[in-house]
Amino acid sequence: MAQQAALDPKTFETFRNWRVNRTKYAKEWQERTGGKIIGYFCTYVPEELLYAANILPVRVLGTHEVQDVTEPHIFAMFCPFCRDCLAQGLKGRFDYLDGLVIAQSCLHIRQAFTSWQKHIPLDYSYYLPMPHHVQSPHATPFLTKELETFRQSLETWLGRKIDDDKIDEAIDVYNRNRELLWKVYELRKQVSPPLTGEEAMEMVISSQMVDKRDHNAALETLLGQLAKRDSDRSAGTRLMILGSEDDDIEFLRMVESCDATFVVDDHCTGTRYFWNNVERNGNALSSIAERYVKRVPCPTKDWPKRSRVDHVLALAKEYDVLGAIIMQQKFCDPHELDNPAITKALNAAGIKTLFLEFDVTVPIGQFKVRVEAFLEMLAEDDLF
Amino acid sequence: MKYAAGIDVGSTQTKAVLLDASRAIAAKALIDTGANVKRAGQRALDALLEASGVARSDVGFVVGTGYGRYKIEAGDTQVTEISCHARGAQMMYPATRTVIDMGGQDTKAIKVGPEGDVADFCMNDKCAAGTGRFLAGAADVLGLSLDEIGEISLKGTRPVRLTSVCTVFVESDILSHLAQNQKVEDILAGVHQAIAARTIGLVRRTGMEDEVTFTGGVARNIGMVRALEEKLGTSLNYSDESHHIGAFGAALFAVDHLLASEQGQIPAEPQPTEWVDE
Repeated sequence: MAQQAALDPKTFETFRNWRVNRTKYAKEWQERTGGKIIGYFCTYVPEELLYAANILPVRVLGTHEVQDVTEPHIFAMFCPFCRDCLAQGLKGRFDYLDGLVIAQSCLHIRQAFTSWQKHIPLDYSYYLPMPHHVQSPHATPFLTKELETFRQSLETWLGRKIDDDKIDEAIDVYNRNRELLWKVYELRKQVSPPLTGEEAMEMVISSQMVDKRDHNAALETLLGQLAKRDSDRSAGTRLMILGSEDDDIEFLRMVESCDATFVVDDHCTGTRYFWNNVERNGNALSSIAERYVKRVPCPTKDWPKRSRVDHVLALAKEYDVLGAIIMQQKFCDPHELDNPAITKALNAAGIKTLFLEFDVTVPIGQFKVRVEAFLEMLAEDDLF
Repeated sequence: MKYAAGIDVGSTQTKAVLLDASRAIAAKALIDTGANVKRAGQRALDALLEASGVARSDVGFVVGTGYGRYKIEAGDTQVTEISCHARGAQMMYPATRTVIDMGGQDTKAIKVGPEGDVADFCMNDKCAAGTGRFLAGAADVLGLSLDEIGEISLKGTRPVRLTSVCTVFVESDILSHLAQNQKVEDILAGVHQAIAARTIGLVRRTGMEDEVTFTGGVARNIGMVRALEEKLGTSLNYSDESHHIGAFGAALFAVDHLLASEQGQIPAEPQPTEWVDE
């Protein structure tokens, strides 16, 4: 296999450090701003509302370590991600949180949330009934009302009002973040993308745990650096990665060491998180509601029409991918239900797929054989 | 004359094949992998050289495959066992469109294109359920050797139904059948059917097309061959040398490389290779 010229590893150091040292960042942020910190499950939580109240939203993610604390609280056949998240709470790794919020998405992660509520002392917690039927015309008005209730709940807890202009400001900051991420993703369409899939994932995940103003500043700097970044590194086989929640950086690194590059994704730690902006319709809460109702859906909400299939296919074509790796958290039924339709659509478009199932820890050796065989399969020329 | 070799370092055994530039087999080797994966690759190559009398300097290219492929010091490059089994099976049986490879730790279903290329594949997940290890566990608890259980299973007339294909639980499952005075041949028939059923699941995911070639160490087990044939409703290509097919495929890739690197030399149209008994 061809040796790839390395990209300067320092370019994404800020993002990597944020991801790795998320606790340190959060504690420093709290000291610096005097604000509160709320952990959130699932990217359907409207962070804009929290941010407007000077609250730092931090996404709860796992650490991919084998653990022994969740067994009494959550079913073994619930997905590894929700168990890993709950384990972090039970182990006290989020003891700096002032509160916890979830928006309805799937039962597994809700079980992690309710168990957390029950067993870990919290100053504040909130369940936001994000509608499932986002394709219904009633979804946006429904969510708008729910956001009003959520706002009141936050105001009661904080003992102060959340100003309308603060909400407006938060929308601007969040939209700016999405636009910047989107600009970086545009660069991945290049023949030799100036960043790897691993780096893109570091970038998006870090945005889920730091102040968006800090993240925006870092992205502005990054865009300047990427324009000049030496892109001698050959992309090799252009791949897409899609599926369940995925913060398995190690897996991406392994694949990208095999003369391949992830050029786009459909993950809630990637495009699903930032693809859609809030478009103002005169009412801030209704605008936010509309954004979350109309965003690229998670499969829990993508019915009766499967709109995600067309979206995934469009991304695959726009980013000119040769193959797609479909990653699924073990026992993730919503994704499992979508995968046959997505596989069929991609294959019909000439994009081959490899299906892999995640667990808390990734069996790198076993996955490497599958990935290498997949790349051999994609190689148009004979192997030699 | 230049030679090329393929070395397949598997979880249980290491297989190696030496080909000359016309793709004729010059030597084969089979050794236990053991704990020292690096040494296994070298020992297999040494065995090839000794059996053929070919000098190391005449071996122009070596392709490593199998789970230990990156540990083979003599390996000039690596190709996954999935591509190697497809290539080797197609060379041995040119009409092959589906390969079932059953090894010690994993089972693969491979859909093969007309040129021996991999069109799709599917492997068992993290655990070794329904693989060679499962058979080894069953043989162990019955006090039999791996080589005899296949034949014995064919004598079973009333196969038992196993509760799982878990490699760990198979022992207690078998013990409970023994406690109920079930016949050994019926237990073994049940064991083989359970694995066949699990394997069919993999094959269905990639889609089965005739002809089907059975490769890997377990292909030497006649009980497994018959159980699969019955479930698939088709006859399988297999031979006593099926476990060498991965190494054979690797050696074919090595010959390709050897010929391509000798400028201007176009590889001769490959002919199906017959195994030559030693």
